[in-house]
Amino acid sequence: MSIDPNSPVPIYQQIAAYIRRAVAAGVYRPGEMIPSLRTLALELVVNPNTVQRAYEQLEREGLIHARKGRGMFVARDGPASAQSRSQAAVYSAFAQGIRAGQAANIAPERIRATFEKASQDVSTEVRSET
Amino acid sequence: MTTDSSSRLAIETVGLTKRFGDTLAVDDLTLRIPMGSVFGFIGPNGAGKSTTIKMLMGLLGKTAGQARVLGFDVAGRCEAVKDRVGYVPELHFVYRWMRVREVIYFCRSFYKTWNNDLCAELLGLFELDEHKKVKHLSKGMVAKLALLLAIAHEPELLILDEPTSGLDPIIREEFLDGVLRTICDRQKTVLFSSHTLSDVQRLADAVGIIHQGRLLANCPTEELLTGTKRIRAVLPDGCSPDKPPEGTIWQRFRRREWLLTVRGFSPATIEYLQTTYLVENIEVTDLGLEDVFKDYVRGRRASA
Repeated sequence: MSIDPNSPVPIYQQIAAYIRRAVAAGVYRPGEMIPSLRTLALELVVNPNTVQRAYEQLEREGLIHARKGRGMFVARDGPASAQSRSQAAVYSAFAQGIRAGQAANIAPERIRATFEKASQDVSTEVRSET
Repeated sequence: MTTDSSSRLAIETVGLTKRFGDTLAVDDLTLRIPMGSVFGFIGPNGAGKSTTIKMLMGLLGKTAGQARVLGFDVAGRCEAVKDRVGYVPELHFVYRWMRVREVIYFCRSFYKTWNNDLCAELLGLFELDEHKKVKHLSKGMVAKLALLLAIAHEPELLILDEPTSGLDPIIREEFLDGVLRTICDRQKTVLFSSHTLSDVQRLADAVGIIHQGRLLANCPTEELLTGTKRIRAVLPDGCSPDKPPEGTIWQRFRRREWLLTVRGFSPATIEYLQTTYLVENIEVTDLGLEDVFKDYVRGRRASA
């Protein structure tokens, strides 16, 4: 994973989103430990406080939990919780697209049609890859 | 971080001012940097970053105001503070005729807290050749040596003055890695000035933007990013935008397009624009640190 330090999205949110995707995709399974603050800070070249902020947020979401003196572990229902949170990211990506459409004075029904077309195109992409 | 450690300040200045003849290099600077945090100090060339840092290091006298480093007034700072601060100056040092090993022996003698194991670890990490003369080292190697000398005595506070300027991306990452290891392993406070905004975004908990000696912004990095938005409003013909919303730091009106960069953005900002003007179309976008920084400085120039 790498982070984009020029992005308007704060780095702690980029890290949280990465861990969520990794848990949803099964990189880290329930009961398994995720990388320590130090490991991830050095790997991504970011302030460990920033990684900690990401982990604190994920802990509040119930995705991970701390075991005293050992580290952070994926919760039992981690993958499900990660999926519903990732859905929020999908929502904001759509919202951004809709705003871009509105800014260009595109009618709502045409925006919806564009969404349907994108949705179709992407699913054929996935099918042709597999 | 406990409330106790966050209430302790590593650096505190109140109304710090430096005048060189007619020029105000640093103008009424008030800054509070808590222990254990990383503070990124950004500003264009000649903004007053180095002058501020030199005053904090006791290398330059102040014209007015107060500055305390680790609780000690910089004016009458005692020797005890020196052991607790590490400093990498803008122009990396002068012992050009010495070998790396000799420079290390020389500098080690100044500090009671010098850690030989850490020094050896850093020599390896930075791939520094002890037998080479400083004048034969590349710019990146000199920068890494300067960092080694600043952190091998395990200071509580590390002050870096444009540490990565002019370094290639590989060396820059190694340098940042060295800084990060000190932060990770020892929960240290860091103040660094930089033009490389991606480095600031990677490392800094909080950011200060300085321009013409004045502090224009000082807040947590993420707050600066999430609270600052660019608005594009399209106004009808004949409408002149004379009352920008609160928090506007930069604006430009061309044809029917009014561009605004607003800090402390909220839905009320949009509501204000829609009720004050007959806005035909409005768009809000996020900004990266580089754009936020540029708009603070451009906005200041336009109003000056």
